[in-house]
Amino acid sequence: MPTNLITIARSGAASARAAIEISAQNIANAGTPDYVRRTLANSELVGSGNIDFDAQSAFSGVRIGGVQRADVDVLQRVVRDGISDLAAAQAEIAGLRVGEIALEETRVFETLVDFESALLLLESDPSDPALRTGTVEAARLLTQTFQFAEGSLEDARDLTASEVSAGIDVVNGAAGELAQINVALVNAREGSGGRAALLDARDAALKELAGEVGIETTFDLRGIAEVRMAGTPSLLLVSGNMASRFDAGFAASGSAQFEVNGTPLTLENGAMAGRARALDRLIALSGELDAIAANVITRVNNAQAAGAALDGSPGQPLFSGTGAADIALAFDQGALLALAQSGSLPGSRDTTNLGNLIASIGAETGPVAELDRLLLSHASRIAGSEATRDGLAIIAASNQAQLLRQTGVDLDNEAASLIRLQQAFEANSRVIQVASEMFDTILSLN
Amino acid sequence: MIQVSNPTRAFFERAIGQMAGLRGAIETSQTQIATGERLQRGSDDPVGASRLRALARLEGRGVSETENAGRLAQDLAQADLAIGDVIGVLQRARDLAIAAANDPIGANGREAIARELEQLESELFTRANSLSVTQAPLFGGTAAAPAYLRGPGGAVVYNGNNTSGAVPIASRTEIERGVTGPQVFEFTLAGVPSDSFAVLSGLAADLRNNAVNPATAARDALAGIDAAIDTANRSQTVIGTRLAFVEDIQINQEERAIERAQQRSAIADTDLAETIARLQQTLTALEASQASFARISSLSLFDVV
Repeated sequence: MPTNLITIARSGAASARAAIEISAQNIANAGTPDYVRRTLANSELVGSGNIDFDAQSAFSGVRIGGVQRADVDVLQRVVRDGISDLAAAQAEIAGLRVGEIALEETRVFETLVDFESALLLLESDPSDPALRTGTVEAARLLTQTFQFAEGSLEDARDLTASEVSAGIDVVNGAAGELAQINVALVNAREGSGGRAALLDARDAALKELAGEVGIETTFDLRGIAEVRMAGTPSLLLVSGNMASRFDAGFAASGSAQFEVNGTPLTLENGAMAGRARALDRLIALSGELDAIAANVITRVNNAQAAGAALDGSPGQPLFSGTGAADIALAFDQGALLALAQSGSLPGSRDTTNLGNLIASIGAETGPVAELDRLLLSHASRIAGSEATRDGLAIIAASNQAQLLRQTGVDLDNEAASLIRLQQAFEANSRVIQVASEMFDTILSLN
Repeated sequence: MIQVSNPTRAFFERAIGQMAGLRGAIETSQTQIATGERLQRGSDDPVGASRLRALARLEGRGVSETENAGRLAQDLAQADLAIGDVIGVLQRARDLAIAAANDPIGANGREAIARELEQLESELFTRANSLSVTQAPLFGGTAAAPAYLRGPGGAVVYNGNNTSGAVPIASRTEIERGVTGPQVFEFTLAGVPSDSFAVLSGLAADLRNNAVNPATAARDALAGIDAAIDTANRSQTVIGTRLAFVEDIQINQEERAIERAQQRSAIADTDLAETIARLQQTLTALEASQASFARISSLSLFDVV
């Protein structure tokens, strides 16, 4: 049946051409993020029918099937979870880093130690006006540094809070996009290139979402996604064509509170959870710095109260204020420093009270030791988080590599396919030629 | 159809990731070499950073203690000089007393000696009120200047107190700032408290008093002057001992400053030889991986399609 032969070969050639198109599409998108390799699902086409009395099957070549997209939902989910964990660690470290810079670069520890050294210097000659002035100026620098450090911590909080606000827009944008993709998926025909592109877009949106907040996703048969936030409680973010409104508010203390459609929830991972944790830590840091400043104020002012100034009058408080934000000098005359013990005569060079103050500042519960512990614990926390982050980064990268193995385009593979398909196309053409020659042979019979 | 393969993008991403890691290591080494500091932030090595802070604090204290020791040495040296002068004055008074005791001198001679003794007593008073560089009394204890006052009858009264105060010049080491006036000028003579000023002015008064035998008075006064010289000498020895101790501690302070600097360097400074070697190693690895990446990525079946 030469005509049948021609039909079969034509369908084969068409199928080879279609497969080459898919290969070309794969090669073109070899570098496209979130692109999943496509393949063509072909099937044999056999026509059967009764002609006269003879039931017969008629080979009709190949049927060009739909565009297939590797189904890797489970792997995608693992990748998303890895991204959420990594993003949380990274966002937290970023926030903590700003806090570390605020504490270390303002040199608050060094300034406190300088103040201590200035006091120690006074021991040599407590009546020297130059040394007294130097000590008051060291105290002034200390107040300014505390305020500077507190201001820097406040800036760090503001920065993290603005990142939280920016993240809100990303989440709501991705959720809205997902709802629209869900609608489009309902109308997309199974096996069409458009549907595959929609699924790519769906996975990309989910990945973007996972970077900001941890999510739990389920798909129905048509690939429509339902997204829940991983948190307590687990709230619905996207269902069908409905996207809930994700929002964040800030408490008076400055800590972030998340809500979905007005229902509050605590997030487990994702960059938003990391930022919220960093924000809480920065707030705690401010509180601890405040406590240390208060410690300095109390210890110095108590010592002042227990001593006598250079003119023999009872010591006045050196610092005013209650914390790092409002610590200030109450006087700036060096003569008012109460270095001698209470009741000393004017001009006394007694240093009993000064010795007590130096011991009090350097004590195990004093501000120097407390500040060192604060810096040590914060730095250790960052170093620990960085170790965790590095581990999570390796996990995320290996998940991603695993996914790419299944979904990525292998150019060598595609090149081999091209050669194979080219040969298939040529072979089918040859079949047509053979059929035509057979036809000619029959027609030339006399 | 699930196909397990080695996708091109995975290959590129892996290569990029590896090279970025190498470049990151190179940049860290480069920063360490350029700044000379191993730790850029506390979180690079939290415990090391804490030790650095402790060392920085010790260094700050060390600077203050060195400064304190310097000032203390200065004060002690001045007190030493002042007491030396006091002894000189007393020696001269002793010579005069011996002259008055042995030589037959007339009323004029006695008057001359009495005047000189008064002059010496007044000089002694000036020395007793010597001030340090920062205008603090050298012999007034921790009280304000002046150390000695002259009372209405011309008698010299101590105005200071009996604590000289101590200066910390090393951890747990305090050295007294000086000696108080009574330690230099006061003593007991035959069970009766007396002082250098009273001995000199007493002898001057006796020499003027016709009722008293000047030679006997001068001989009696000699014992008092000897006691005064003894007392001043003792104080000078005390000051000298402290000065020697301060100098010892100053040498010790220098050694400790160097030791602290070494400890600090061990924690905070870049080990140049090691870092440069590591940098070279990483550079070699980066160059090799770039070359191999370029060669492998140029391999493609498309060359033969």
